[in-house]
Amino acid sequence: MQDNVIDRSKDITILELLDRVLNKGVILTGDIVISVADIDLVYLGVKLMLSSVETMEQLRSGQSKAE
Amino acid sequence: MDKMIYSILSIKKNPGKLNDLLLGIKGISGGNLYLVSADDITALVSNIKGKDLIANRSNAIEYAGVIETLAQQFTLLPVRFGSVMESNDAIKKMLERNYNEIQHNLMYIENKVEFGLKVFCDSEKIKAELKAKKEYGPIIEVTLGNGNSIYRDYLNKKIEEHRVEELLLSHIDKIIKGIIANLVQLNPIHKFKKMTTTTNIIDAVFLLEKDKKDNLVNAIKGFQNQYTDLHFVLTGPWPPYSFVDITLK
Repeated sequence: MQDNVIDRSKDITILELLDRVLNKGVILTGDIVISVADIDLVYLGVKLMLSSVETMEQLRSGQSKAE
Repeated sequence: MDKMIYSILSIKKNPGKLNDLLLGIKGISGGNLYLVSADDITALVSNIKGKDLIANRSNAIEYAGVIETLAQQFTLLPVRFGSVMESNDAIKKMLERNYNEIQHNLMYIENKVEFGLKVFCDSEKIKAELKAKKEYGPIIEVTLGNGNSIYRDYLNKKIEEHRVEELLLSHIDKIIKGIIANLVQLNPIHKFKKMTTTTNIIDAVFLLEKDKKDNLVNAIKGFQNQYTDLHFVLTGPWPPYSFVDITLK
Protein backbone atom coordinates (compact mmCIF):
# COMPACT_ATOMS: atom_id res chain seq x y z
CA MET A 1 0.00 0.00 0.00
CA GLN A 2 2.70 2.47 0.98
CA ASP A 3 4.37 2.33 -2.41
CA ASN A 4 1.15 3.59 -3.93
CA VAL A 5 0.79 6.64 -1.73
CA ILE A 6 2.50 8.83 -4.28
CA ASP A 7 0.77 7.74 -7.39
CA ARG A 8 2.55 9.13 -10.40
CA SER A 9 1.06 6.64 -12.82
CA LYS A 10 0.86 8.01 -16.32
CA ASP A 11 -2.93 7.87 -16.60
CA ILE A 12 -3.69 9.76 -13.44
CA THR A 13 -0.99 12.33 -14.09
CA ILE A 14 -2.25 13.06 -17.60
CA LEU A 15 -5.85 13.30 -16.45
CA GLU A 16 -4.94 15.60 -13.60
CA LEU A 17 -2.83 17.67 -15.98
CA LEU A 18 -5.61 17.98 -18.55
CA ASP A 19 -8.11 18.85 -15.86
CA ARG A 20 -5.89 21.70 -14.77
CA VAL A 21 -4.91 23.04 -18.16
CA LEU A 22 -8.52 22.99 -19.45
CA ASN A 23 -10.45 23.97 -16.36
CA LYS A 24 -8.14 26.03 -14.17
CA GLY A 25 -5.64 28.84 -14.38
CA VAL A 26 -6.00 32.48 -15.34
CA ILE A 27 -9.03 33.21 -17.49
CA LEU A 28 -9.07 35.94 -20.10
CA THR A 29 -12.60 37.17 -20.61
CA GLY A 30 -14.39 36.29 -23.80
CA ASP A 31 -14.53 39.73 -25.28
CA ILE A 32 -10.75 40.07 -25.51
CA VAL A 33 -10.00 36.49 -26.45
CA ILE A 34 -10.43 34.96 -29.85
CA SER A 35 -12.60 31.93 -29.47
CA VAL A 36 -10.81 28.63 -29.89
CA ALA A 37 -13.44 26.14 -30.88
CA ASP A 38 -15.50 26.66 -27.75
CA ILE A 39 -17.70 23.69 -28.45
CA ASP A 40 -14.72 21.41 -28.83
CA LEU A 41 -13.25 22.68 -25.57
CA VAL A 42 -16.46 22.02 -23.70
CA TYR A 43 -16.83 18.63 -25.34
CA LEU A 44 -13.22 17.75 -24.55
CA GLY A 45 -13.66 18.96 -20.98
CA VAL A 46 -16.71 16.82 -20.40
CA LYS A 47 -15.11 13.84 -22.07
CA LEU A 48 -11.99 14.18 -19.96
CA MET A 49 -13.99 14.60 -16.80
CA LEU A 50 -15.90 11.39 -17.47
CA SER A 51 -12.74 9.64 -18.49
CA SER A 52 -10.98 10.92 -15.39
CA VAL A 53 -13.61 9.63 -13.00
CA GLU A 54 -13.90 6.29 -14.74
CA THR A 55 -10.16 5.77 -14.91
CA MET A 56 -9.62 6.69 -11.31
CA GLU A 57 -12.40 4.43 -10.17
CA GLN A 58 -11.00 1.62 -12.28
CA LEU A 59 -7.55 2.22 -10.85
CA ARG A 60 -8.97 2.26 -7.36
CA SER A 61 -10.96 -0.86 -8.00
CA GLY A 62 -7.87 -2.58 -9.40
CA GLN A 63 -5.98 -1.46 -6.34
CA SER A 64 -8.53 -3.01 -4.00
CA LYS A 65 -8.51 -6.27 -5.90
CA ALA A 66 -4.72 -6.39 -5.82
CA GLU A 67 -4.82 -5.96 -2.06
CA MET B 1 -1.22 35.44 -37.05
CA ASP B 2 -2.93 34.94 -33.67
CA LYS B 3 -1.13 34.88 -30.32
CA MET B 4 -1.44 31.97 -27.91
CA ILE B 5 -0.77 32.97 -24.29
CA TYR B 6 0.72 30.30 -22.00
CA SER B 7 1.48 32.10 -18.77
CA ILE B 8 2.16 35.42 -17.13
CA LEU B 9 5.23 36.01 -15.01
CA SER B 10 7.48 38.63 -13.52
CA ILE B 11 10.72 39.52 -15.26
CA LYS B 12 12.23 41.29 -12.27
CA LYS B 13 14.36 38.29 -11.45
CA ASN B 14 16.82 36.87 -13.91
CA PRO B 15 15.40 38.00 -17.28
CA GLY B 16 18.53 36.67 -18.99
CA LYS B 17 17.87 33.17 -17.68
CA LEU B 18 14.28 33.37 -18.93
CA ASN B 19 15.38 34.29 -22.44
CA ASP B 20 17.94 31.50 -22.46
CA LEU B 21 15.34 29.00 -21.33
CA LEU B 22 12.94 30.04 -24.08
CA LEU B 23 15.52 29.25 -26.74
CA GLY B 24 15.24 25.59 -25.83
CA ILE B 25 11.44 25.31 -25.77
CA LYS B 26 8.88 25.36 -28.56
CA GLY B 27 5.23 26.27 -28.35
CA ILE B 28 2.26 24.51 -29.91
CA SER B 29 2.94 23.31 -33.46
CA GLY B 30 6.61 24.14 -33.00
CA GLY B 31 6.04 27.88 -32.77
CA ASN B 32 8.79 30.01 -31.26
CA LEU B 33 8.07 31.33 -27.80
CA TYR B 34 8.61 34.98 -27.01
CA LEU B 35 7.70 37.54 -24.38
CA VAL B 36 5.26 40.45 -24.53
CA SER B 37 5.98 42.75 -21.61
CA ALA B 38 4.41 45.63 -19.75
CA ASP B 39 6.75 47.11 -17.19
CA ASP B 40 8.06 44.16 -15.12
CA ILE B 41 5.39 41.62 -16.01
CA THR B 42 5.39 39.59 -19.16
CA ALA B 43 3.23 37.14 -21.05
CA LEU B 44 4.71 34.05 -22.63
CA VAL B 45 3.36 33.84 -26.16
CA SER B 46 3.72 31.99 -29.43
CA ASN B 47 2.27 32.72 -32.85
CA ILE B 48 -0.37 30.30 -33.96
CA LYS B 49 -2.26 29.81 -37.19
CA GLY B 50 -6.01 29.33 -37.27
CA LYS B 51 -5.70 25.75 -38.46
CA ASP B 52 -3.52 24.88 -35.46
CA LEU B 53 -6.15 26.09 -32.99
CA ILE B 54 -7.42 22.63 -32.24
CA ALA B 55 -8.48 21.82 -28.73
CA ASN B 56 -7.28 18.25 -28.67
CA ARG B 57 -5.46 16.22 -26.10
CA SER B 58 -1.98 16.43 -27.65
CA ASN B 59 -2.13 20.23 -27.98
CA ALA B 60 -3.31 20.56 -24.40
CA ILE B 61 -0.46 18.35 -23.17
CA GLU B 62 2.05 20.30 -25.29
CA TYR B 63 0.69 23.54 -23.88
CA ALA B 64 0.95 22.26 -20.31
CA GLY B 65 4.50 21.09 -21.01
CA VAL B 66 5.60 24.65 -21.83
CA ILE B 67 4.09 25.95 -18.58
CA GLU B 68 5.59 23.08 -16.58
CA THR B 69 9.10 23.69 -17.94
CA LEU B 70 9.02 27.36 -17.06
CA ALA B 71 7.38 26.78 -13.68
CA GLN B 72 10.38 24.74 -12.60
CA GLN B 73 12.49 27.90 -12.76
CA PHE B 74 10.07 30.80 -12.32
CA THR B 75 6.96 31.80 -10.39
CA LEU B 76 4.20 32.11 -12.94
CA LEU B 77 0.46 32.38 -13.42
CA PRO B 78 -0.63 29.55 -15.72
CA VAL B 79 -3.18 30.72 -18.27
CA ARG B 80 -6.06 28.42 -19.20
CA PHE B 81 -5.66 26.57 -22.48
CA GLY B 82 -7.40 28.29 -25.38
CA SER B 83 -6.46 31.88 -24.55
CA VAL B 84 -5.63 33.51 -27.85
CA MET B 85 -5.44 37.22 -28.62
CA GLU B 86 -5.19 38.98 -31.94
CA SER B 87 -1.99 40.97 -31.49
CA ASN B 88 0.99 41.66 -29.25
CA ASP B 89 -0.39 45.14 -28.71
CA ALA B 90 -3.67 43.71 -27.37
CA ILE B 91 -1.72 41.48 -24.98
CA LYS B 92 0.37 44.41 -23.77
CA LYS B 93 -2.75 46.47 -23.10
CA MET B 94 -4.32 43.54 -21.23
CA LEU B 95 -1.23 43.30 -19.01
CA GLU B 96 -1.32 47.05 -18.34
CA ARG B 97 -5.03 47.00 -17.49
CA ASN B 98 -4.61 44.11 -15.04
CA TYR B 99 -1.17 45.03 -13.70
CA ASN B 100 -2.15 45.26 -10.01
CA GLU B 101 -4.14 42.05 -9.96
CA ILE B 102 -1.38 40.17 -11.75
CA GLN B 103 1.24 41.45 -9.31
CA HIS B 104 -0.97 40.56 -6.36
CA ASN B 105 -1.44 37.01 -7.61
CA LEU B 106 2.25 36.58 -8.43
CA MET B 107 3.11 37.56 -4.86
CA TYR B 108 0.48 35.15 -3.53
CA ILE B 109 2.02 32.14 -5.29
CA GLU B 110 5.67 33.25 -5.09
CA ASN B 111 7.94 30.23 -4.73
CA LYS B 112 5.02 27.88 -4.12
CA VAL B 113 3.83 24.69 -5.79
CA GLU B 114 0.50 22.92 -5.97
CA PHE B 115 -0.31 19.33 -5.05
CA GLY B 116 -3.53 17.45 -5.68
CA LEU B 117 -4.84 14.86 -3.23
CA LYS B 118 -7.68 12.49 -4.00
CA VAL B 119 -8.96 10.09 -1.37
CA PHE B 120 -10.90 7.06 -2.51
CA CYS B 121 -12.87 4.52 -0.57
CA ASP B 122 -15.85 2.24 -0.83
CA SER B 123 -18.37 4.68 0.63
CA GLU B 124 -21.14 2.07 0.51
CA LYS B 125 -19.04 -0.20 2.73
CA ILE B 126 -18.41 2.64 5.18
CA LYS B 127 -22.11 3.49 5.17
CA ALA B 128 -22.95 -0.13 5.90
CA GLU B 129 -20.53 -0.09 8.82
CA LEU B 130 -21.97 3.17 10.16
CA LYS B 131 -25.45 1.77 9.76
CA ALA B 132 -24.51 -1.41 11.60
CA LYS B 133 -23.11 0.63 14.48
CA LYS B 134 -26.38 2.59 14.66
CA GLU B 135 -24.31 5.65 15.61
CA TYR B 136 -27.09 7.89 14.42
CA GLY B 137 -29.18 6.93 17.45
CA PRO B 138 -32.75 5.77 17.48
CA ILE B 139 -34.90 6.82 14.58
CA ILE B 140 -38.15 8.45 15.47
CA GLU B 141 -40.41 6.52 13.22
CA VAL B 142 -42.92 8.29 11.08
CA THR B 143 -46.49 7.31 11.61
CA LEU B 144 -49.14 8.39 9.20
CA GLY B 145 -52.77 8.41 10.14
CA ASN B 146 -53.48 5.19 11.98
CA GLY B 147 -49.87 4.02 11.52
CA ASN B 148 -50.68 1.47 8.88
CA SER B 149 -49.84 3.63 5.93
CA ILE B 150 -48.16 1.86 3.05
CA TYR B 151 -45.80 4.86 2.89
CA ARG B 152 -44.57 4.53 6.48
CA ASP B 153 -41.80 1.97 5.81
CA TYR B 154 -40.63 3.90 2.78
CA LEU B 155 -40.41 7.15 4.73
CA ASN B 156 -38.61 5.54 7.65
CA LYS B 157 -36.14 3.93 5.27
CA LYS B 158 -35.49 7.32 3.67
CA ILE B 159 -34.95 8.95 7.06
CA GLU B 160 -32.46 6.26 7.98
CA GLU B 161 -30.61 6.69 4.66
CA HIS B 162 -30.44 10.42 5.28
CA ARG B 163 -29.01 9.90 8.76
CA VAL B 164 -26.39 7.47 7.44
CA GLU B 165 -25.51 9.99 4.70
CA GLU B 166 -25.02 12.65 7.36
CA LEU B 167 -22.82 10.27 9.36
CA LEU B 168 -20.70 9.61 6.29
CA LEU B 169 -20.21 13.35 5.70
CA SER B 170 -19.35 13.79 9.35
CA HIS B 171 -16.85 10.91 9.05
CA ILE B 172 -15.27 12.64 6.03
CA ASP B 173 -15.15 15.93 7.94
CA LYS B 174 -13.20 14.19 10.69
CA ILE B 175 -10.70 12.86 8.15
CA ILE B 176 -10.31 16.34 6.63
CA LYS B 177 -9.80 17.88 10.08
CA GLY B 178 -7.19 15.20 10.80
CA ILE B 179 -5.39 15.99 7.55
CA ILE B 180 -5.45 19.75 8.22
CA ALA B 181 -4.26 19.29 11.81
CA ASN B 182 -1.37 17.11 10.69
CA LEU B 183 -0.32 19.57 8.00
CA VAL B 184 -0.48 22.63 10.23
CA GLN B 185 3.31 22.91 10.45
CA LEU B 186 3.57 23.03 6.67
CA ASN B 187 0.96 25.79 6.64
CA PRO B 188 -0.40 25.00 3.19
CA ILE B 189 -3.25 26.92 1.61
CA HIS B 190 -5.86 24.29 0.93
CA LYS B 191 -9.19 23.68 -0.77
CA PHE B 192 -11.30 20.63 -0.06
CA LYS B 193 -14.27 19.16 -1.89
CA LYS B 194 -16.28 16.28 -0.46
CA MET B 195 -17.95 13.37 -2.25
CA THR B 196 -17.18 14.33 -5.84
CA THR B 197 -18.23 10.76 -6.68
CA THR B 198 -19.39 7.88 -4.54
CA THR B 199 -15.81 6.61 -4.34
CA ASN B 200 -13.85 9.88 -4.42
CA ILE B 201 -14.70 11.13 -0.95
CA ILE B 202 -12.11 13.91 -0.81
CA ASP B 203 -10.68 16.01 -3.64
CA ALA B 204 -8.17 18.50 -2.27
CA VAL B 205 -5.51 20.86 -3.55
CA PHE B 206 -2.65 22.32 -1.54
CA LEU B 207 -0.40 25.27 -2.21
CA LEU B 208 2.81 25.24 -0.25
CA GLU B 209 6.40 26.42 -0.42
CA LYS B 210 8.60 24.46 -2.79
CA ASP B 211 11.05 23.39 -0.11
CA LYS B 212 8.26 21.77 1.95
CA LYS B 213 7.13 19.32 -0.70
CA ASP B 214 9.00 16.35 0.81
CA ASN B 215 7.30 17.01 4.13
CA LEU B 216 3.91 16.88 2.42
CA VAL B 217 4.77 13.61 0.71
CA ASN B 218 5.80 12.09 4.04
CA ALA B 219 2.67 13.39 5.75
CA ILE B 220 0.45 11.76 3.10
CA LYS B 221 2.31 8.49 3.56
CA GLY B 222 1.50 8.80 7.24
CA PHE B 223 -2.21 9.32 6.49
CA GLN B 224 -2.19 6.25 4.28
CA ASN B 225 -0.81 4.18 7.14
CA GLN B 226 -3.34 5.67 9.53
CA TYR B 227 -6.40 5.17 7.32
CA THR B 228 -5.84 1.73 5.83
CA ASP B 229 -9.37 1.51 4.40
CA LEU B 230 -8.80 4.62 2.28
CA HIS B 231 -6.67 5.05 -0.83
CA PHE B 232 -4.69 8.28 -1.07
CA VAL B 233 -3.57 9.55 -4.49
CA LEU B 234 -1.18 12.49 -4.41
CA THR B 235 -0.09 14.23 -7.60
CA GLY B 236 2.31 17.09 -8.11
CA PRO B 237 4.15 19.32 -7.86
CA TRP B 238 2.06 21.33 -10.30
CA PRO B 239 2.22 24.96 -11.32
CA PRO B 240 -0.42 26.70 -9.17
CA TYR B 241 -3.37 26.21 -11.55
CA SER B 242 -5.96 25.86 -8.79
CA PHE B 243 -4.89 28.99 -6.92
CA VAL B 244 -4.97 31.59 -9.67
CA ASP B 245 -8.65 31.53 -10.44
CA ILE B 246 -8.66 35.11 -11.66
CA THR B 247 -10.31 36.65 -14.66
CA LEU B 248 -8.42 39.25 -16.66
CA LYS B 249 -10.26 41.79 -18.78
